Parts: sequence; C-alpha cells; structure tokens
Amino acid sequence: MSVLLESSSTSATMRRNFWAGVWRVMKRKPSRMVGVVLILGFVFMGVFGPMFYPAQLDRDPNAITRPPSWEHWLGTDDQGRDVIALVVTGSRYVLLAALVTAVITVVVGAGIGLFSGFKRGRWDNVLMRLTDMKLTIPGLPLLLVLSTVWKFSSAVQMGLVLGLLSWGGVARAVRSQTLSLRERGFIEAARGLGLSTTHIVSKELLPSMAPYIAMNMLIAVTGGVYAQVGLFFLGVLPYESNNWGQMLNTAVFRSGALTVPSALGFLIGPLLAILLLTLAIVLVVDAMDEIFNPRLREE
Amino acid sequence: MTQTAPGVRIDGLTVVYKTPAGELPAVRNISLTLEPGSITGIVGESGSGKSTLALSLLNAVQPPGRIAAGSVEIDGLGDVVGLQGEQLRKARGKHIGYVFQAAQNSLNPLKTVGKQLLDLGRSHGVEDLRGLVREAKELLGRMGLDGARVLDSHQHELSGGMRQRVGIMLALVLNAHLVVLDEPTTALDMITQANILKIVREVHAERGLTTLVITHDIGVVAEVADRLAVMYGGRLVEQGPTREVLGSPRHPYTRGLIKAIPRLVGDIDEARALPGRPPTLATVPKEGCVFRERCPLRMDVCDTVDPDAVADGSRVVACHAVAVNANVKEHA
Amino acid sequence: MVVIARRLAGHLARGIVMILVVATISFFIVRSIPGDPVAANVQKLIQSGMDPQAAEQATRVLYGFQPKGSLWEQYTQYMAGLLHFDLGQSVTHAGAPVTQVLGEAAKWTVIPVLAGTLLSFLVGIVMGVYAAIKRTGKLGDILAISGSLLHGVPQYVLGLLLSAIFATLIPILPADGPVDILFEPGWNAGYIGSLVEHAVLPVLTYALAAYGGWILAMKSSVVTVLGDDFILAAELRGMKRSIIFRYIARNAILPLFTILALSLGVLLGGAVFIERIFNYPGLGLLLLDSITMRDYALMGGAFLLITVSIIVANILADLFYSVIDPRVRSGEEVSG
Repeated sequence: MSVLLESSSTSATMRRNFWAGVWRVMKRKPSRMVGVVLILGFVFMGVFGPMFYPAQLDRDPNAITRPPSWEHWLGTDDQGRDVIALVVTGSRYVLLAALVTAVITVVVGAGIGLFSGFKRGRWDNVLMRLTDMKLTIPGLPLLLVLSTVWKFSSAVQMGLVLGLLSWGGVARAVRSQTLSLRERGFIEAARGLGLSTTHIVSKELLPSMAPYIAMNMLIAVTGGVYAQVGLFFLGVLPYESNNWGQMLNTAVFRSGALTVPSALGFLIGPLLAILLLTLAIVLVVDAMDEIFNPRLREE
Repeated sequence: MTQTAPGVRIDGLTVVYKTPAGELPAVRNISLTLEPGSITGIVGESGSGKSTLALSLLNAVQPPGRIAAGSVEIDGLGDVVGLQGEQLRKARGKHIGYVFQAAQNSLNPLKTVGKQLLDLGRSHGVEDLRGLVREAKELLGRMGLDGARVLDSHQHELSGGMRQRVGIMLALVLNAHLVVLDEPTTALDMITQANILKIVREVHAERGLTTLVITHDIGVVAEVADRLAVMYGGRLVEQGPTREVLGSPRHPYTRGLIKAIPRLVGDIDEARALPGRPPTLATVPKEGCVFRERCPLRMDVCDTVDPDAVADGSRVVACHAVAVNANVKEHA
Repeated sequence: MVVIARRLAGHLARGIVMILVVATISFFIVRSIPGDPVAANVQKLIQSGMDPQAAEQATRVLYGFQPKGSLWEQYTQYMAGLLHFDLGQSVTHAGAPVTQVLGEAAKWTVIPVLAGTLLSFLVGIVMGVYAAIKRTGKLGDILAISGSLLHGVPQYVLGLLLSAIFATLIPILPADGPVDILFEPGWNAGYIGSLVEHAVLPVLTYALAAYGGWILAMKSSVVTVLGDDFILAAELRGMKRSIIFRYIARNAILPLFTILALSLGVLLGGAVFIERIFNYPGLGLLLLDSITMRDYALMGGAFLLITVSIIVANILADLFYSVIDPRVRSGEEVSG
C-alpha cells in the first residue's frame, strides 16, 4: 500500500505507467478521446466564451425567431439575438452552477459515506436512515415547492441547493466502498501498524476511492445541469443570464417552438448543448471505468 | 447405452488457451488409459492443467481454450473430440457424469433440486420421469439424505456436503457409467470429506463404473483410487498403481510431493516443502522438462529435450534422470 | 411468509414516517411563503364582508390550518386534517377539495408512467441480452454507449426533441393534451383512439428515459450470470439449450426488479416535465400550476401525493421481489 511507496522514484514510475495505460485505453476506443475533447471544449466555452461577446448581445429586431441561416447557424431568439451566442454566454452560469453542485454533492456525500462506513454502529444507522429518507423524497417536486419560498437563482445558490439535495446516492455508494475496504482488512492492517485515523483516511482509503469519486463527480455535473436547466425551463425561477433552461422556456412557451418550425433553431441550440455535454461526460466516465476497473478491460 | 463400465483412452491430448502472448498449452501431449471398472486419481497443483484435462473428456474446454491435438476415445461413444452439437450434448450427462468442484454453486439458485432433475430428464428424453425421480430419491437415500426433502429444496437451503451429494446424484441418475469428479472434497470439512469418499468408492463398486477423480490432495487419492497419475505444468509426469507410486515414487516431483507431507509419527521437520512455485500458463517452459527449475536431479539434457514417458510394467515415468538410471540398471 | 410480512411491516412503518416528514415539510413551506398567503386569505375574506370568525374558519378549511394560534396548534390542525384525508381546498378549482382534484389528475400521471416503464423494461431487457452477448464487438459497444447516453440525458430534453420532431417538424403525432376535445369521453372508438394517439409521445418519452437504465442493468446482469458456475454445470450435464437459456434469462432478470422501484420513482418525480411539455393534466402539471397560481393547499397536496406514489411503488416493487426470489422467501439476506 502507500506506506511502502515512500521512494519518489517508484511512485514516479507508477505514475508514468498509469498514464501510459490511460493512453492505451484512449487509443483503443477513439470515441473516448472525443469525450475528453468535448469536455475541454465546454470548459473553455464556459470560462472564456462570454468574453468573446459584448455584455448585451446584439439584438436584431428584423430577425426575430428566425430558423437556422448562414448568418445565424442556429437561428435567433425572440429578441433577435443569435442562438449560438446565447448558448455560449449562458454556458458560464450552467457550468458554474453544475460545478458547485458536483463539488458539494461529492464533498458532503463522500464525507458522510466515509464517516458512516468508518464508524459504523449507531452513527451509521442514523445517518443511513436519514439518507434513505432523503432519497425517497422526490427531488424535483421538492425543488419546485422550495422555489416558492426562496428564489435561488444565482449560480452559487443554485449549486448549493442542488448539491444539498443530491448527496444521498454518493453517500450510500462511498459508504459501501468503505465497508468493503474495511472487510478486505485495509483498515485493520493500518490500525495494527498504529497509523492515525487521518492518515488512514487520507492515505489509504481516499486513494482507492479517488477514481470512483471522480466519476461520481462527473455524473453529479450532469445531474446538476439537468436539474437547473429543468427548473428554469419550468419557469419557476426568475430570469438569470442566458441559462439554457431559460432559453428552452422562452423557446417553447413564448416563441411556440413546438408549434412553429421557425423557432426550432432556438430550441435546438440549448438541447444540443445539453446532449453534447452529456455525451462527453458519458464517454469520459466510460473511459475512466475501463481504466480503473482493469477487470473489465477485454483485451 | 453402455451397460458396463467403459474404458477411456486419451492419446496425445493437447489443449491450448488463447492469450495476448499467443496460444499457450495448458495440457501438452497427455496419454492416459482408464481401464474399465477402475478408479483413477489425477493429482496436481493448481495450474497443472488437471481440470482442463477433466473437461476434455466431455469436450467441454471453454473458450478461449480449445483442444488442439489428440483424441479421447470412450467405449461406446468413440472419439469425444470429434463429437459436436446434439450428439455431444446427449453424451454429457447420459454417458459421462461430471461432478463439480465442491458443487457449491452448480445448481440454479432459483429452482428446486427436483425441478432441475426434471429439466435434466427432459433434456435427455427420459420418458419415465417418475421413475427418474424415484431413482434420484434412492440415490440420495443411499448417500444418507432424505430424498424427498432434498428434491423439494433450493440450493441455498442445503449445506455444502448435501450439495456435493446432490451433484453426485445428478451425475449418476441417468445411469452414466463413466464418472468424473473434479475436486469432490475441496471446501468440505474433514468428516464430510471422508463420507463423500466412502460414497464414491461404494457407488463405484455397486454400479460398475469407471471413475476419474481429480484432486490436489494426495490423501484423497490414497483413499479412493486404484491408479494414480501425477500432473505438473500440463504434463503427466508419473503414473502407476496407487500403492506403488506412493510407496516408491520415481519422478522427482512425486518424490517432492510426498516428502512434503508431514507424517503422523516421526520428526515434523522431516517434511520438506518443494522449493519454488508451479508454473502458470505463461511461465511454462516451451521446451525441455517443465519441472527442471525445481528439480534436484536436473541435468543438461533437461533444458532442451522434453522427457518421454517411459513404461516399466504398469508404471510410467517421464523423467530423464529416471530413464538414465533405469538404463544404467539394465546395462549394469 | 413470515419473512415477507415482516418486510412489509417495516416498509409500511418507514412509509408512514416518510409521509409525515413530507407533510411536515409542505406545512412549513406553506407557512413560510413570503406574503403569508394564509393570513392574507383571512384578510381578504374579512374585507369582502365576512366576519372574522367565519373568515378564519373558511381559511382553515381551505389550507388545513388557521393563522391564529401557536405553531404547534397549526401543525396539529394540519396533521389532523391529513388523518381525515382532508388536504384543504383548491383555490383554482372553485373550492373543490384538494383530494378530489388530485384524484382526477392521478390517472394522467400514473397510466403513462406505468406504460412507459413497461415498454422500456421489455425492450431494455431484450437489448440488454444482445448487448451482453455481443459485448466484445462494435454492436455491443454501440448499444452500451447509446444506453448510457439515453440514461444520462434528462427527460425533458427527450420530450422536447420528440415533440419537436414528431409534432412540429413532421407533424404526425399530437402533443397538446391527453385527448382531442372534439370527442365525447366514454367507451367509444373515437375517444379511445384519440387518447391513444395523444399518449404516444409522452409514453415514448418516459420509455426512452427509462430504457437506458434497463439495458445497462440487464447487460451487466446477463454478463454476471453467464459467468456463474451453474450455467457451465448445466451445459456439462447435457441440458437442452432452451432450458439453459431460460435459466440465464430468469436469473438475469431477477436482480432488475430491485431497480424497478427506483425507475418508477424517477419517472414519477420527473412527470412534471413531460406533463408540461405535452400538456397532460397530471399530478406534476398540477403541482407546477398550483405554484404559479399560488394555490398552496393544492401544492402541498400534490407534493404529498407524488411522494406517496413513489413510496407505494417502492413497497410494491420490493414485495414483488420478495415473492419471486426464493432466497428472500426463506429469510436469507440477498445483497441488492
């Protein structure tokens, strides 16, 4: 285990071999690379994208809700703004909120899961009962009901609320991982060696679970995007930047995208963004799964 | 179809497994005869290829493995290697009974034993299913179990020993006369082991079977088998009547195995484990004797030439040192 | 049987606790809504001429509790009402009891969700077997990735896409409500036909949303079963192919029932989207509308009922599983 890998040269070699393995997996199914590229693309778009556009997008009153054309590849919205511009500028909010969601989900979930699996006994029981209860309450209806008392529109607030609502699954999963590691004697052995609790957790447990946690984080990102876009789509929260959900809402309910083909571009824009992001994450998670679960590697 | 115990002649059998490093042999050029009515025991460590050999008798080597060369002739069936499809399926179960390694999970967990028995009967075109059930209950009773209760149970309701006995019953219920038992006592406690072995001996005698027992436990072979064959690294290194092989082992591996067993009397330190480890599929040497790395009698010729199986009466040994010795003795 | 009864009792107990928790949550939320609609309602009634006592009484009937009194009193009033299945009255439905409104809406949610689940289950299982058998080839890969993708894409994206393609772009299916209002409700061909026609897109959306989960789970289950000893054992005993196939199928499907409840829960929870997009007057749309229309008694009721359906679905699915898995029937602990 890690205790034995003190020498830096051995760990460096291990790291090198690891990345070599990653490269091999990627090469085998090039679609995975597409996933990575897409994700990087989205991150770029979220961070730098809005800088390419003016704070107030150009409105062309003569081109309201136009279908895709050479000028506007995905058409325009109900105020004559270019759909692609909207998607790009909206991406910052979407990705930021999703990121906050994922971080909170994973931190809280893993924390509780680790604690529960580690301590067992009464704490475990209580925490798991609570988690089960939380998991039973339907998330979306709860969010809707919550929106009546608190308009959590800002990206951070949104991320916070979503994160606090979705750590349940991660908690259970991390807990079962902890329990299985415990059964395999990792914890006993470490205790036997007289290592402190923090050491055990950070040096022994976490590294084995790190890939798993990373995958869960990516999945939580998709969940976060799904939830916030959905909430804006339903129109229960006040307008906040060009969130993709907001776009969907306007497209469907004000521009009648579902009845008039001309507004389809406006509708497709955000939908495509969501689809691509989901695809990207699915591919990357799949690749991570193969990398970290060598048993599944079918050479 | 055979009402009597069939003889089995394995000739030059080679089984290979496909790996990233090419096709590697798990069983190489094995020739073995099972006389009708005998109980033969095959002893080997894990990785020696013994289970693969057992599966070959039913032509059931699983991919990525395949039988690359040789034949397995069974009286009444012909060369099993050549059988396919329906012919092969029918032979399995009806002519050859196979009992699994400690049968822990060899039953469908969702169905009762009785229902699976009926499935077995239907698969083999048994018309008198009631007769089959009666036969099964008798067999189970013979082995000390309450037949009716067992047939009504699911796998998880039975203990390890009971499951093993059910496995034996299923192998015999269609009246097969060639029975293969793969590690029949592993994972069972000592008392149950002794019981199972007793049952195997008795049933073998009563029904006039030809039996093959595969195990890593020399003790099991000593109790049950007439003839003993020792496998190492996919080769048969020694064969002969059990008492003789155990009493005066000739191959250095057999010698090492027996030396490693602590005796009930005497100094426990006399028992010496064999140095080194058995080869795996990937580390088996491609030429020369497979045992040379751990052999105290190693000679130069062992590195390049695969020792032939030399017969001496009913004893067969594949070892250069032994052959040289025998030559010396002959020409002395 | 005792085992099953005990499990049922456990579920019921937990279910009741959940219901209480959810009811409490909605109670507190209604009380905390900015503008205090409950008090506002009393004021409004008083202004329209009612005397204070009657106004309070009317409000209490409406919301389940009245603004005067301590928190505890209000809470117990509300809960007492619940026990009598009284969820208050719906402002937007001309004062009809919330339970009545919910009752009428329930079928528009439950039936499409069940239909969608069934469809996705059947197709997902068959495709899952394929995906498992062909897992080393391109086809298996494509099936797996497409399954993952469908699984990850949110329901409303699927709904919008389906609607955009089949209702707007190539208008062959309707997407505007459960049925054509031209038809007289009843057991006549026209009405039924229209019902079915309008149900196609929503049900398809539910099905596509759940399909991903089923194919992935089935593939994994079949792969596991294929590696199980008893399959090889059956082959070595000379069992017929058809029998072995049945062994594989039943053993692989069994663990899937544990996610049946989860799948139903997800669909029921997400019904809001589908119902909004396709204009189906189900519980989800009711919840949404009640929020925008400030019909808070209805909101609380809808929230509660959606949760209750999920709990019931959970219980039924687990009971079903206990019955069909003989290992559970005899009390053994089967993990997942």
